[in-house]
Amino acid sequence: MKNTLKVERAILNLTQEDLAQNIGVSRQTINSIETNRYVPSTLLALKLSKVFNKPVNDFFKLEEND
Amino acid sequence: MNKQKRCEGEERRLNWLINFKLPNYCKKIGWGILLVSLLLILVTKLLDGNFDLLKNILKKAMLLGLLIVTISREKIEDEFIENLRGKSFSFAFIVGVVFVLVQPVINYIVFLFFKPEKIIFKDLGDFQVLWFLLVVYLTAFWSLKRRNA
Repeated sequence: MKNTLKVERAILNLTQEDLAQNIGVSRQTINSIETNRYVPSTLLALKLSKVFNKPVNDFFKLEEND
Repeated sequence: MNKQKRCEGEERRLNWLINFKLPNYCKKIGWGILLVSLLLILVTKLLDGNFDLLKNILKKAMLLGLLIVTISREKIEDEFIENLRGKSFSFAFIVGVVFVLVQPVINYIVFLFFKPEKIIFKDLGDFQVLWFLLVVYLTAFWSLKRRNA
């Protein structure tokens, strides 16, 4: 699964720390999601969707081998 | 209806037990207990006398200290940390079982090479196993955390 979290963050001009505080996780968690080392839960994905004001599918995309 | 309520209650209690964590400040207390008991064990090694009971208590205190560190919350305890905890626990469990199975054999081989007249095929004690499990868990947890920092 790939994601465009970094781009969405840049659009809103948020740092990893800002976004992390916004959804109640650590900066490390945001970093791990952005670098594809961690796949977040549906709950976290929906929280991100709320912050970005976009559907989850817009910034999380399945890859061919998923 | 009553049965359903009872099931829900049991599930809640089980979840509480599974997710039980101490507050973050307890981590320091855990380290304190571990260090003090480790130091005291070293002191008993330097002094003459029979400290078997004290050593036993100190070993238990060391395990308690490590356990407190293990179940204390991180500063921000989120789902990612929970995920790392899960991975570290399963890793420690598997390595622990392998350790218990392999260690006596290694002991045996070492004895064969160095003291073939006094071969001992001894199983590990509970302290060694638990100490090993906790240390492997903490090491795995920290290295996973650092790798993802």
